[in-house]
Amino acid sequence: MAEPALRLQGLSAAYGRQPVLEGVTGSVDPGGSLALIGPNGAGKSTLIRSILGLVPVVTGTVEVLGTTPERARRDVAYVPQADTLDPAFPVDAFGVVLMGRYRRVGWLRRPGRQDRAVARAALERVGLGSRGGDRFGTLSGGQRQRVLLARAIAQEARLLLLDEPFNGVDSTTTEVVLDVLAQLRSKGVALVMATHDLSIAHLACGDACLLNRHQVAFGPIGQALTADTLKQTYGGTALVLAGGSTIITAS
Amino acid sequence: MGAVLDSLSQPFFRRALLEAVLVGVLAGIVGVHVLLRRLPFFVVAMSHATFPGVVLASILGTSLFLGGSAFGLLVVLALVVLGTQRAVDDTSLIGVLLAGSFALGILLQSARTGGSKELSAFLVGSVLTVTPADLVTTALVGVVLLLGLGLTHKELVLTAFDRGGAAATGYRLRLVDLGLLAAVTVAMVTTIPVVGTLLAVALLTVPALTARLWTDRIPPAMAIAAVVGAGSGVVGLALSATYDIAAGGAIALTTAAAFTASFVLTLPRSHRPRNTPLDSLDDLHGAPGTRGRGQSGV
Amino acid sequence: MLRALVQVLLLAVVGGLVGVHVLLRRLAFVTEALQHTVFPGIVAAFLLGQSLLLGALAAAVSTVVLLVVTTRARRLDQDGVLALLAAAAFALGVVLVSRGRSFQHDLTVLLFGRILTVDDRQLVETAALALVCVVTLVALHKELVLLAFDETAAAALGYRPAVLAVVLNVLVALVVVAAIRSVGSVLVVAFVVTPAAAARSVTRSVGGAMVGAVAFSAVCGWIGLAASYELSVDHGLDLASGATVVAVMTLGFLAAVCVGAAARLVGRWRTASLLAS
Repeated sequence: MAEPALRLQGLSAAYGRQPVLEGVTGSVDPGGSLALIGPNGAGKSTLIRSILGLVPVVTGTVEVLGTTPERARRDVAYVPQADTLDPAFPVDAFGVVLMGRYRRVGWLRRPGRQDRAVARAALERVGLGSRGGDRFGTLSGGQRQRVLLARAIAQEARLLLLDEPFNGVDSTTTEVVLDVLAQLRSKGVALVMATHDLSIAHLACGDACLLNRHQVAFGPIGQALTADTLKQTYGGTALVLAGGSTIITAS
Repeated sequence: MGAVLDSLSQPFFRRALLEAVLVGVLAGIVGVHVLLRRLPFFVVAMSHATFPGVVLASILGTSLFLGGSAFGLLVVLALVVLGTQRAVDDTSLIGVLLAGSFALGILLQSARTGGSKELSAFLVGSVLTVTPADLVTTALVGVVLLLGLGLTHKELVLTAFDRGGAAATGYRLRLVDLGLLAAVTVAMVTTIPVVGTLLAVALLTVPALTARLWTDRIPPAMAIAAVVGAGSGVVGLALSATYDIAAGGAIALTTAAAFTASFVLTLPRSHRPRNTPLDSLDDLHGAPGTRGRGQSGV
Repeated sequence: MLRALVQVLLLAVVGGLVGVHVLLRRLAFVTEALQHTVFPGIVAAFLLGQSLLLGALAAAVSTVVLLVVTTRARRLDQDGVLALLAAAAFALGVVLVSRGRSFQHDLTVLLFGRILTVDDRQLVETAALALVCVVTLVALHKELVLLAFDETAAAALGYRPAVLAVVLNVLVALVVVAAIRSVGSVLVVAFVVTPAAAARSVTRSVGGAMVGAVAFSAVCGWIGLAASYELSVDHGLDLASGATVVAVMTLGFLAAVCVGAAARLVGRWRTASLLAS
């Protein structure tokens, strides 16, 4: 069996005096998918940035695709939340997807016909093939999120890091994204997804990591996501609805 | 009109025209990057920061262009290094360095007697005293800069649009920033003979801003900015010859006039209704679009 | 010399206090632009023989109005508009001055100011402006701080962020006008931004930053004035006073950044050893 796509061992990170993340340990196999669950400020973004090698690691190790985060970056794609990007920026949807090819094209050269074909296919895959010429900012929130996913597809990465990809998007987008993620997994791409939505986590992910500045749980989602671990992660009381598998935490 | 025709017969005026056109094209195109990366304040700061270098060069008797560029690049370096300390935000940091370097320049200048004519030439331009050697320098610098910007175009656009995504795929943001800031600084120094340091921002921002009113895409924006930049140089010089006013000021005012005219002419466009369906709550409020660094808070 | 010191202290108080807000709301560029847009107002008043203060005030208020009006407009980055206004206004001032008789001399005087030759009338004007600013800041302190940290919450609580923002911009304009005749059209931004920046490098609290900024500004002002007075006795130039103060402030800022960086490094090292144990 191939090496894990991601391996974390006792990872701790800090921005200054206060550690923001402690003791994260676990791994994700190729084709696996990990949900990062926790309240705001729990360290989900910090963990993603550690995997990208963008945050100073205080103790522990991060191994991405068998090597250091810096060396693995070409094969790691980051899908940010669409509303972190300036909607007035003069770039069209196709241009954004094409950006996923830049690393492959390299400095000083222009994307070729092959690159443009891959980008077009990726845009089609997320159902926006006809919107390539529209300015990125004129698309709806969900459509912009899909364009960013298409960018990651065009990059042909082996590990995808997604930051709340289902936040405030429409149902079409949710369907398309879930479908694309499942297909990518079947091709051996690994996923790490920060999310608030527990039902989506169950649908899309096989493993879960619960964070509240330190690791509460890490493992197969059925075992890691329990009333007890949720309570430790979110605080407050946990209710189990009749029907069993749906758990809501109220604080 | 007669005054302009008279002036055209003078070689110094023809040189001034050529310099204004060359610089207008270069600054117009670089100006598009200035806007994409939210750098107008940086340009204003840089134009103040080159001042000590120019004074030093004048005292030492070396090329003002080299002195200004060297000191400007030094300040760019200081900006990037101090920026990593995250003591204060970039906007405020630029403000501090801007004033600090200008104060240094004033101190250096007041330590020597005379040189105030040179000083005002530096501050508000002296395009009418441009020499053939200056023209060659401007042309060479322009070609090198535009070539460099063209070759790295896609990386520049990506790092302007999505810094997080660019860093994630392995681009060294600080290097790209440094390279582009250095290019902007050099471009800015070429505008100094034409409009002076305090108005350099007029050529480096306003034509690009004007272009942004007309188009939503980058390549046409660069073309329009180049035309507006060069055109303002020509019209400004004509006005200067006709009404006997400072050339640098006239050119800068012309860019402002071009912007105002474009603002008015494109007003009908901005009221076109959206043609995309609302399919998420985001659209009701308009996308939040959290702005990156340097966004002032009116 | 005493008058100059009083002027500097007045500017230290009002500049330091407003400066903390300028920092919080990233208004350094607005301040910088305002010092340029006020320039044609001063030039016009100078050429017409009118009160420079009135000319400056008129220009400053017009700028704030124009800025607010055009910023609500389409797809235009505020920084770009500020640059446009600053450049256009300054160019207008330059063109006006060039029509006068003694272009170079007038230009340098108007650009660099004269702090050592401040007279009683100027002091009174500065004090009045400073009083207006300080009173407004004290009255609106908690609203302005809320606005800086969380504009959405401010709106939700019923405040009108746009109005508060305009008030703040007008305060900045008043400070610029108060400082500009002493320090000149290019260095005003230092009196507003640098002390607050130095204070912020060392402390995270708003109140602490305000106290620190005023103290920093006063101390640097005193040192700078004393130094330039010595220099002017030796070299006979009063051009350097405002610049000397700014130079001292900038050095002070660099020192503050180093102190802050050292503190952070120590903090991170301590965290690492805590985690490792």
